[in-house]
Amino acid sequence: MKAGIREFLAEERPEGYYEKLIRDLEEANEKLRMFSVINRELKSGMPFSVKDNICVKDVESTASSQMLSGYIPPFNATVVEKLDKNGFGFIGKTKMDEFGFGTLGVNCIEHPLNPFDERYVTGGSSAGSAAATAVLRHHVSIAESTGGSIACPSAFCGVVGFTPTYGLVSRYGLIDYANSLDKIGIMARSASDARYVFEMIKGSDKYDTTCVDHEVTTEGRRKLIIIDQLIKGVDERIASSFDKTMCKLGNLGYAIEHRSVPFIEKAIPAYYIVSMAEASTNLAKYTGFKYGLKVNDFSKNYNDFFTEARGNFGAEAKRRIVIGTFVRSSSVKSRYYEKALRIRRMLIDSLNSILKEGFIISPTMPIVTPKVDEAEALSPLEEYGMDSITVPPNFAGLPHVSFPSDYIGGMPVGTQLVTSHFNDMALFDFVGRWEEDFEYRFKYNVGAL
Amino acid sequence: MENEDFDRLLKICRLSMEKDAKDKIKHDIDEIIAYFNSIDGVECSKYSPAYQPISVPARKRPDRHEPFPEPGKLLKNSKIYRFFIVGPKI
Repeated sequence: MKAGIREFLAEERPEGYYEKLIRDLEEANEKLRMFSVINRELKSGMPFSVKDNICVKDVESTASSQMLSGYIPPFNATVVEKLDKNGFGFIGKTKMDEFGFGTLGVNCIEHPLNPFDERYVTGGSSAGSAAATAVLRHHVSIAESTGGSIACPSAFCGVVGFTPTYGLVSRYGLIDYANSLDKIGIMARSASDARYVFEMIKGSDKYDTTCVDHEVTTEGRRKLIIIDQLIKGVDERIASSFDKTMCKLGNLGYAIEHRSVPFIEKAIPAYYIVSMAEASTNLAKYTGFKYGLKVNDFSKNYNDFFTEARGNFGAEAKRRIVIGTFVRSSSVKSRYYEKALRIRRMLIDSLNSILKEGFIISPTMPIVTPKVDEAEALSPLEEYGMDSITVPPNFAGLPHVSFPSDYIGGMPVGTQLVTSHFNDMALFDFVGRWEEDFEYRFKYNVGAL
Repeated sequence: MENEDFDRLLKICRLSMEKDAKDKIKHDIDEIIAYFNSIDGVECSKYSPAYQPISVPARKRPDRHEPFPEPGKLLKNSKIYRFFIVGPKI
């Protein structure tokens, strides 16, 4: 049964449906810690959750950071406003790595756990959004990706995770991580649900000057291109699962080709340079004064006041602020920041040229879902390395989708598909076709009719 | 990175930390910067920097200046401290 948003909205819900939904969700949340806030007042509409770095009027929005504790926005993000007006009902805020700084979803207090097996991570940074989508039967989550924060947790939690072309969805109301990289996207249980929401939330916005009103195409491709450097060194189980997926796609009539892209492996250092540079400027405004956490000891001098407040950032945030400030220093700016931006241009040109011929396809993640203790033992650099496949499309602002393609030891595995700028709709067609022959599995179905 | 440079960066960032945390974060940062140095070998001088991944029209918000008739009211009910003036919300 693949009933989606349209069917849910058309169907009459039994009396007491939303009350039971919230009770069951709260019970699941006790175990899985997906939500920081659950809206007990929800009484109608298709439930949607919102990553905690996207503002919902009168609801605490902290980006899972102590630094923003108590911040209650007086406005809705544009994406929330659009859903509110179109028959959707806000069900809660989902947890994330602090400010989006993380690949595995463990950089926050009481991080979410994987609904397939609580010993495993959800992936990050949109950790709670992916877990919530795997738990709730009729629901979509509004998530956000900077370098893979939608694709990675979607793969680990077995849901469809769509990241649009940069600029197609308004970022107004998003607590910024890196302005030239942040994209608001969607997690859902099917391509058709993700498409339904995307059609509703895309389009220009007078409040976001970087948001574009561009025609979005549906140009299908019959060729699937594998970039050899991206799959080099992936876990053997992932490699074997990917081979199986490619065989199925070959049988569906797709031609498969292998290519290499010069310097694509340098996308990760270049991406981290740009993202940390931008993050360090974005986080400068959190000083214990205007947003969130307030330090009310005004007897201190200016530097001591701000330094004490900024002690509330987590370790990863502090690391990124320091490195971001360093790479922007006048003495090294051309070596790091400007060079990283040139690498981005080179990568965009190379990928765009390949994407004229076909989709780029790969496993979403180079590893099987790690256990929580394994994830927590990784060094920062090891964790950044996990982004090797999700960073290139994110760095280049290219639309991509992660969809469930296999299960290894009961845990889901995702495949990532990338297309050219503004050809977003073609991704939904492709995944919709995949779903005709592949049944997604879920352990939870909270809110099933 | 030299300790002195690291301390200067912390000061610019308005961050302070205990010695153990500082040693750990400095070690991580040294490793990360060494990794960043791997872009040194990439020849990309013919490419212009991509400040945005797509071409974004240079739109500006239609903000305009409006004189505030009674500037004195801005600080009405404010609290004055040695280093700060905390004003009321307007």
